[in-house]
Amino acid sequence: MAAESPTAERKVVVHLRATGDAPILKQAKFKISGSDKFSKVIEFLRRQLHRDTLFVYINSAFSPNPDELVIDLYNNFGFDGKLVVNYASSMAWG
Amino acid sequence: MAVFSEEAAKYVWGGAIPLQIRLHESEVTTLPPPPPALVLGSRIGYFPLLVPLIKPYFSSTLPPGEDTVWFDYNGLPLKWYVPIGVLFDLLSAEPERPWNLTVHFRGYPGDVLTPCDSEDTVKWSYINSLKEAAYVINGNSKNIMNMAQTDQFDLWQSLVKGNMDGYLRISSRLKLGPVGEDCFLKQASSLQPRQAIDEPDPVGSSRPSRIPVRLYIRNVGESLEDLEDAPIIDSWDRISYINRAVEIHKEGGNYMTLKHAMRTLLPEIFGEEDPDNKYELREEGNHEAGSSFGDPETISMTRNDLVEETSFGCQRSSEASLIRIQGIEPDLNIPFSWVVNNLKNPDYFLHLCVFLRTSPRQAKAT
Repeated sequence: MAAESPTAERKVVVHLRATGDAPILKQAKFKISGSDKFSKVIEFLRRQLHRDTLFVYINSAFSPNPDELVIDLYNNFGFDGKLVVNYASSMAWG
Repeated sequence: MAVFSEEAAKYVWGGAIPLQIRLHESEVTTLPPPPPALVLGSRIGYFPLLVPLIKPYFSSTLPPGEDTVWFDYNGLPLKWYVPIGVLFDLLSAEPERPWNLTVHFRGYPGDVLTPCDSEDTVKWSYINSLKEAAYVINGNSKNIMNMAQTDQFDLWQSLVKGNMDGYLRISSRLKLGPVGEDCFLKQASSLQPRQAIDEPDPVGSSRPSRIPVRLYIRNVGESLEDLEDAPIIDSWDRISYINRAVEIHKEGGNYMTLKHAMRTLLPEIFGEEDPDNKYELREEGNHEAGSSFGDPETISMTRNDLVEETSFGCQRSSEASLIRIQGIEPDLNIPFSWVVNNLKNPDYFLHLCVFLRTSPRQAKAT
């Protein structure tokens, strides 16, 4: 467990992917502190895209609640060293 | 012990918190102010679902404007997507019955709570929680995403109405459990980080399964015996909200108890005894650091006699934590498979409250 310590200290690479007609970001990969909440990712996307309504998913599957820590999402759902976050301007996956 | 006990599930589904809900004084426009609403809040339910029940009590006195309903306990806005039973277990350390809450129909605290404008928002949150749990269990959310809309609707309605049989009929088709009794722990060194897997493994595969757990961790002051003295939680920053998974194996290693599961979930707190290894729970923001933890071996003692105990002459000064699930403070030696199958919430997450004792040294410093 020591090698894969789930502590929040480390940085997580977040890969932002547009879905549907959502605009594509110039820079799609970001590093974010694992101790940040998912709400920080949502806020970042809202600011970048100037949209109030945005649907944000993990692995094209589900929307986590905004209080979840980025490190937990990475440990539970990340792969290839990154956390894939999809965003859409309308509901994409139920 | 049976893998799934309908009796236990009935207790979980039938569990309810008696609530005494007052309208916030700033929204009272009549004299005398309206009496409080007395309602039962289902443990597995969510606060916005109570609004149709509560509104008639207060609708005649509300100031003009549009309703944006939210609740608070001792000034702390209650997160609407956390099940009512979990909020009660977590925030009312010494269970307060009825639970005294305040309802607000105006002034939604958008800085603390995510918007919730209708029951549909709650349903959406529930379904996403279910998808998240399915992803942990199966490596994808397809079973939920491929559900017929009518099934999704019926599943939600069964939760809203507390209809356990209806819920079990639909949820049993989702292939998310139950966990078998032969649930083993492998040595920590063999734990591998999980990779996303596109297809669920065929039945009978030896791939470890994973159990999704939401942990809510707080300090309760110097004593786990006198919980009425626990400090009031005035900010969500004082709660550590952690989502982790427990990996269980169908063979090998040791039979997994709740204590084993806690060790893999929170090695910072329940790790093997090591006098040189005192961990600190980091809280977010600039609040004071959490407890330091000592002597985790003593945690395994049963907590059933909690009420009878006094804090005097306590032999357990090193005991550092207390776990509460569905209002129960379970013996840590019970099989983890039983806990998962019987005490999980309808979103397939095991919601677990952990109370930490603040050491006297730290209490003095604050």
